Amino acid sequence: MHRLYPEKLITVITSDVLEGRLVQVVKQRGASGYTIFRAQGAGSSGEQSGMLDIDTNIVFHVVVPLAKVSAMLDALEDLARKGHHLRVLVSDVNVLWPEKFE
Amino acid sequence: MLSNLLIPAVLFFALGFFAKLIKSDLRFPPDLAKALSIYLLVAIGLHGGYELGKADLLTAMNSVMWALFLGFGMPLIGYAILVFSKKVDPMNAAAIAAHYGSVSAGTFLTAVAYLDSLQIEYDSYPVIMLAVMESPAIVVGLLLAAWSRRRLAQKQGAPQAEAGNGDEHDRNKLTHILREAFTNGSVVLLLGSMVIGAVAAPQSMAKIKPFIEDIFMGVLCLFLLEMGMEAARRIGEFRRVGAVLIVFGVAMPVLGGMIGTLIGHEMLGFGVGGTLLVAVLAASASYIAVPPAMRLAVPEASPSLYLTLSLGVTFPFNVVFGIPLYHMMVVMMVGA
Repeated sequence: MHRLYPEKLITVITSDVLEGRLVQVVKQRGASGYTIFRAQGAGSSGEQSGMLDIDTNIVFHVVVPLAKVSAMLDALEDLARKGHHLRVLVSDVNVLWPEKFE
Repeated sequence: MLSNLLIPAVLFFALGFFAKLIKSDLRFPPDLAKALSIYLLVAIGLHGGYELGKADLLTAMNSVMWALFLGFGMPLIGYAILVFSKKVDPMNAAAIAAHYGSVSAGTFLTAVAYLDSLQIEYDSYPVIMLAVMESPAIVVGLLLAAWSRRRLAQKQGAPQAEAGNGDEHDRNKLTHILREAFTNGSVVLLLGSMVIGAVAAPQSMAKIKPFIEDIFMGVLCLFLLEMGMEAARRIGEFRRVGAVLIVFGVAMPVLGGMIGTLIGHEMLGFGVGGTLLVAVLAASASYIAVPPAMRLAVPEASPSLYLTLSLGVTFPFNVVFGIPLYHMMVVMMVGA
C-alpha cells in the first residue's frame, strides 16, 4: 500500500473569461500548478452552451496544503464581491507526492 | 425585403432559429462556431486587404477616422438613451452601450451576401472600418463603467483612503483591459489578414482564391446556422429584459443605420454598396468581442441583458429586416 498524504482540492466553476484572473490568484498564493477543463452546463447565469467564448465555462482545479487554503478562498471571495459569478468547492483529497503541491 | 430573405445565408440563419424553437437536437461540435468565425475573419481580411492594396490612401485614412468617430460616438449615444430610459442602472447601461459601438462581423458579411445577390458593387474601405470599429467601443464602455462606478461609490460615501487605493487599482486594471481590447484576437486576425492581403504578390493571391472566395458563402451559411440557434436560445430571456429594452434593441440599430448612411454617403462619398456597409457597421452590435470584455471588466452588469439584446434582438433584426431597410434608406439618399 502506498503512503498517502492529505491535501485540499479547490474546484472553481466559472466563465472562461476569468481564467487569467484565477491563474493569477493561484500563482500569487503559492500554488505550484493547476488544471483547467472547458465545460458546459447551466446555473443562475443561464445555459452555458460552450459555443461562443462568452458562453463557455471552465472547471479550474488546484490542490494545495491546508495552510494555503484560507488565502486562496479570500482571493476568490474578492472576485465574487466584485460581481463575478463563480462556484467554489473545497474537498479533501489524498495525494501520493505532497512535495508537488507545496 | 423578399430578396433578402431568399439569400441562402439568411435562410440558414432562419433554419438554425427554427431548429432551436422546435427543440431539435441539432448541435454543432464544440468550437466549430469559433473555427468558422476565424475562417470568415481571415477570408474577409485577405479579400479586403487585397482590394485596399490597390485603393486610395487618403480615402482609407478618412474611412479610419470616421470608423473611430462611430466607434467612440455610438456608445455615448446608447448610454445616454439607456440612462434616460431609467430601465437599467448605469453599469448595465455602460455594458450594453459598448456592444452598440462595436460591430458584428456576421451582420457585415450578411450585408455583403445581400449586395452580391443583388449584384451591387461595393467599396473595399468598409472592411478596414470593420477592423477599426471592434475595439474603441470597449474602451468607451470601460470608461463609462469606471465613471459610473466612481459616482456610485461617492453616493454611497466610500471612505477616502479606500477610494484612493481603488483609483490606482482601477488605473492598472484599465491599462490591462485597454491592452486586451486592442490585442483582441479578432482585431489581430482581421488586421493581420488585411496586411497579408495587401502586400502578398497578386499571382500567389490567385492561388488561394478558392479558399477566400469560392467557399466563402458556404461557410457563412454554416456560421449563420449556428448563430440562428444561439439567437433563438436568447428568446427565453426576453421577459427578464423587458419591453423597453427590446425596443431599444431595435431602435438603436435603426438610429445607427441612419447615422452610418449619412457618414457613408455625405462624408465618405461611397456609392450604394459602400454606404450600405457603413450603415450596417453603425447599426450592428457586437456579440463576439465585447461580451467577454464586459464580463471581465464590468462584472456588475448582467450578461443576460447585453447578450440578449445584441444576439437575441439586434442581430436577428439586422439580418432579416435591418439590411433591406438600410438599403432603402441608402437608395433614397444616394439615388438608385
